[in-house]
Amino acid sequence: MKMLKTFKHYISVSLACIRMAFLTIVEYPSSIIGWLISNPIQFVVGFATIQFVVQQFGEINGWNYGQLAVLYGLSVISHALSMIFFVQGWFMGHYVIEGEFDRFLTRPMSVLYQFFFAQINIFGITDLIPGIFVFVYGCYKIHFHWTVINALCVLGMLIGATLIRGGIYILLGTTSFFTRSANDFGQYTQEIFDKTTMYPISMYPESLQFILTYVIPIGWVSFYPVSGLLGIGTEAAKLPGIVGLTIVIGILVMIVAGAFFKFGLRSYESAGN
Amino acid sequence: MKRKNHSAYFYVYKTQILKSMAYKFDVYGNIFMQTIIMIATAFFWKALFKSADSMDGVTVDTMLTYTVVSSMVSVLLTTNVEWRITDSIRKGTIAIDMMRPVNIFKVFFAENLGGVTALFFQNLLPIFIIGSLIIKLPVPNSTKDAMLFLVSLILAFLINWFLAVIFGMWAFKIIEMSALIQVKKHLIRLLSGSIIPLWFFPEGLRSVLECLPFPYIYQMPISIYVGQYTMDSLQKGLLLQVLWVIILWALKTYLEKRVTKFVMIQGG
Repeated sequence: MKMLKTFKHYISVSLACIRMAFLTIVEYPSSIIGWLISNPIQFVVGFATIQFVVQQFGEINGWNYGQLAVLYGLSVISHALSMIFFVQGWFMGHYVIEGEFDRFLTRPMSVLYQFFFAQINIFGITDLIPGIFVFVYGCYKIHFHWTVINALCVLGMLIGATLIRGGIYILLGTTSFFTRSANDFGQYTQEIFDKTTMYPISMYPESLQFILTYVIPIGWVSFYPVSGLLGIGTEAAKLPGIVGLTIVIGILVMIVAGAFFKFGLRSYESAGN
Repeated sequence: MKRKNHSAYFYVYKTQILKSMAYKFDVYGNIFMQTIIMIATAFFWKALFKSADSMDGVTVDTMLTYTVVSSMVSVLLTTNVEWRITDSIRKGTIAIDMMRPVNIFKVFFAENLGGVTALFFQNLLPIFIIGSLIIKLPVPNSTKDAMLFLVSLILAFLINWFLAVIFGMWAFKIIEMSALIQVKKHLIRLLSGSIIPLWFFPEGLRSVLECLPFPYIYQMPISIYVGQYTMDSLQKGLLLQVLWVIILWALKTYLEKRVTKFVMIQGG
């Protein structure tokens, strides 16, 4: 009973936060319009240039450009979702240096919850649009069959992918509890994710593929689930097992990240004297 | 009087070198980023050329050299002037900047040159070493091409800088610039051939892009370096580069006058 009450409380706080996030759009319309132009250009033009090349060569490691569009699109969508919910992980160093965690610690809610969900980054939506656009284009090119199972698989892999991304942001951000530096790893993290989730990782050397599969599970953000979905490559597991595995890995990364965050929070010493 | 001013710009140049040396994390971060982009692009080309020995007369070796050189060139084409203008307008220091007995845009140019000089040692050399070890030693097609490359690169540097300044001047009218600066950055990165050369673009789009200044920033100098040009395209390309430098310089001079007036009115 108490748990249910807590849960309800968290839900109502979340809804209030989402409402606040939307209100910020109304407050800064010019700013969001700028990003609404900027981010789609980045991703759509970015994909278009890749497509020109792949079209000429026919395929890259067994992926034609339609399949590549599905991979690229899903990668951008999960990127957008992780931007909406977990982008704070990029700026954790700043929060540690400025002593901003004091605010969260004094409130009667989980610090991790407050840090990520009480400040939803609504601007992430500007990344969602180009992602959906490229994904739909890819589906159209490869004549993707929209069955209920396929739709659920896409949804499942997006959840898994977002959790993996978010977990890695938290893990990286948490290091600033120990290093106490305000360095922002955001753009570096994004560059790595871009290069490893928007292209098939089978184009990299095997050692790198091994790392991306077992050590830092970035391969599971898009490459393995999309391979399963489109039936590319033989040794990879088939649907729906591979989607299940993606979600499991996502949850595992999140659990590790959450534990590490709690551990890191212990050495938080606020700012000043 | 004139001599004195010149030494002022030289002083700005020197100060900027020292300033740039101070930010260690940024330096390592940039090397790291460039290395990731460079290596990923190299594997991208390697994977593509698995199924074909050459495409439109381009081989995988050409593309690997192209990739390493492009990474090095991108260090030299780093501009900060858009942010510099936006910042000083937002903080209001632009008025003080303009009161000084030097031309503010020449100061920006000196700052940019200083920054690039520091980056040459801090970023370009490490990227050259990493690229040569991991990907390929970027040997120029011939000595003559290397010389022509340098000429074209200087023109490209000017085009890139003028574009950045003209862009930065928008900040006088629009205060929220960060999204627009990102748009410009992405467009230059994607449409100037910095990652994927325009040879691979569809014919129609390529002709449109060749009428814009973008391809003359990366594509032109690097394709000379790897020897992917005909006598005809070389002459036309260099001529257009010079033309763009003149056009953008004229535009910059015109806008500079308008903007200065605008600030004076605002300042009352």
